[in-house]
Amino acid sequence: MVKKKIAKVLAFRYKILAAILILLAGGLVLLPKYQKHEGIKPEELLSNTISPERYMTTDRLAHIIINQDPSFILIDVRDEKSFASYSLPNAINIPLKKLFDEDSEGYLNQNQFDVVLFSNDHFYADQAWILCNRLGYKHMRVLKGGINQWYTTIINPMKPAENMAAAEYELYTTRKAASMFFGVVYPEQVKVEAPKIVKEAPKKVITIEKKKKAEAEGGC
Amino acid sequence: MGPLIPNGVIPYEWDNIIAILIGIAFGFVLEASGFSSSRKLAGVFYGYDFAVLKVFFTAALVAVIGVYYMDYLGFLDINQLYVHPTYLWGAIIGGIIMGVGFVAGGFCPGTSLCAVAIGKIDAIVYVGGIMVGIFIFSELYPLFQPIYEGYFYGNVTLEDSLGINPYWFVFIFSIIAIVAFVISDMVQKRVKKIFY
Amino acid sequence: MKELEKTKRISIAATLFILAVIIGLLTYKRPKNVYAINSKDTLEKITSANYFTTLEELKNPEYVLIDIRNQYEFEKGHLENAINIYAAEILSDDNIKVFDELKESNKTAILYGNNPQEVNAPFLILYQLGYDNIKLLTIENSYLQNKLITKNSEIEKSEADITAFINESVKKANATETVKKEVAAPPKKVITIEKKKKAEAEGGC
Repeated sequence: MVKKKIAKVLAFRYKILAAILILLAGGLVLLPKYQKHEGIKPEELLSNTISPERYMTTDRLAHIIINQDPSFILIDVRDEKSFASYSLPNAINIPLKKLFDEDSEGYLNQNQFDVVLFSNDHFYADQAWILCNRLGYKHMRVLKGGINQWYTTIINPMKPAENMAAAEYELYTTRKAASMFFGVVYPEQVKVEAPKIVKEAPKKVITIEKKKKAEAEGGC
Repeated sequence: MGPLIPNGVIPYEWDNIIAILIGIAFGFVLEASGFSSSRKLAGVFYGYDFAVLKVFFTAALVAVIGVYYMDYLGFLDINQLYVHPTYLWGAIIGGIIMGVGFVAGGFCPGTSLCAVAIGKIDAIVYVGGIMVGIFIFSELYPLFQPIYEGYFYGNVTLEDSLGINPYWFVFIFSIIAIVAFVISDMVQKRVKKIFY
Repeated sequence: MKELEKTKRISIAATLFILAVIIGLLTYKRPKNVYAINSKDTLEKITSANYFTTLEELKNPEYVLIDIRNQYEFEKGHLENAINIYAAEILSDDNIKVFDELKESNKTAILYGNNPQEVNAPFLILYQLGYDNIKLLTIENSYLQNKLITKNSEIEKSEADITAFINESVKKANATETVKKEVAAPPKKVITIEKKKKAEAEGGC
């Protein structure tokens, strides 16, 4: 008897299934909509931004540039005018306004290079970093203090006072040597040093690795 | 969370293994639905068996509803899914050729392999034909290239090009599907039964 | 009863499908904080809108000062009438409530810290969450004999003309020494970026 009853219900089975499908599809229309997240969660973004990990000191950057470390790209987020007047060697100019232009994405969203963002201080560079971090871009750094810090530490380092520690003097000498590399000439240096021959930096060709998409095999 | 592989939940290296598992399941379902019979497949064109239409329409429907629910619930990010690029004329011409082949041979590429697996001779001939077709296409590729790579519309979806709300689209799509099932059932009743 | 046997598979599949949807709906929790504007719009807004204030403009009664430094520094010295919300905790329930209330009552929240750079991150996060009633106070706080000194600071000001400085140094050096010395600028690297191409997928059935 029970089996017969079940069979009776199941006679309608296709109708029931059809009804379920329409109900579920209708449910999609009726569900309350909410704004979707783009990028990582705000909480995650906050903890990323609080951490000072992204900052790079000017000394470290000078070291990188002098050694021609091929794994770094420098990106200047100031406007074109400031970029034209002075920028770090080999820097690429992506003004903050154009951060999400199509051409910029290749530099920012990749896995091969470490990107160092910088501006006059690190305000705009930080903003660029936060926006990129929200989108999940990896390997981004910010030059702490930006160009201003660059000027006061590398280009025009302060001579330590005589009562300062030896470490300060050492730092000063390295910085001074670095500033010479970047084109500053000191009066006492000229006598000793023959014109500097700057090695030809190897042409840097950035080929961005394609993100492989799973090949979609359709079929029946 | 999802899609699982692009988001690193499942390592990239597992791609092929998962593909094999899905392939086995897919082949099993095809065979279990009787799709390794060319008569059943061709039935949809002659009106005596609409199983093909029903199975694929239902599959699409279940998938689209499921994907949108998962997207809504945050298990899947619909924007990260791969959208097949549209090459308009390539798709139209290819579709016509494939349709003619389907009616004439009674298989589509997937089901022909399924039928080869159970030892059907017509399917073996059919697959041989596919190989010849691939060979001809590859040899004449420079000739076809403008069509093959032209008329590119990008990775667009129906929602993008029509500009309608995807949820309404799903709803309308499911109604169309159900209506199609009902009509196909009616047609099937009128057409002379064929035993195969 | 052959019919019955046949249905089993369909029924099982259908039940599983519905079950999956129901479980999904039950376990679903709406995310607490949701971005209100996307990255592109944010970028456009922060590059065009003015969201800075200075000390002089603080007298506006609609302004509520929020100190994003930690509690220790806040207690050591802070601006008058400021509330303390530590930067790392701006997204906690209570603090979000504060911002919600401010938004409802049409007040403007003024964030400040030891320097504008420090406020940047919390500001931008709140901004992206849709709190457009917040501004950033461009000040620098420092201590002089345990007294809080606050002064306006200008962000992104170029402090020195480096090109000029370098040229000057070269000139000076040349003046002291007649030896001509060429300063070779580091060679320009050419960087070409390959655009990402989508892998072509071969479909087909």
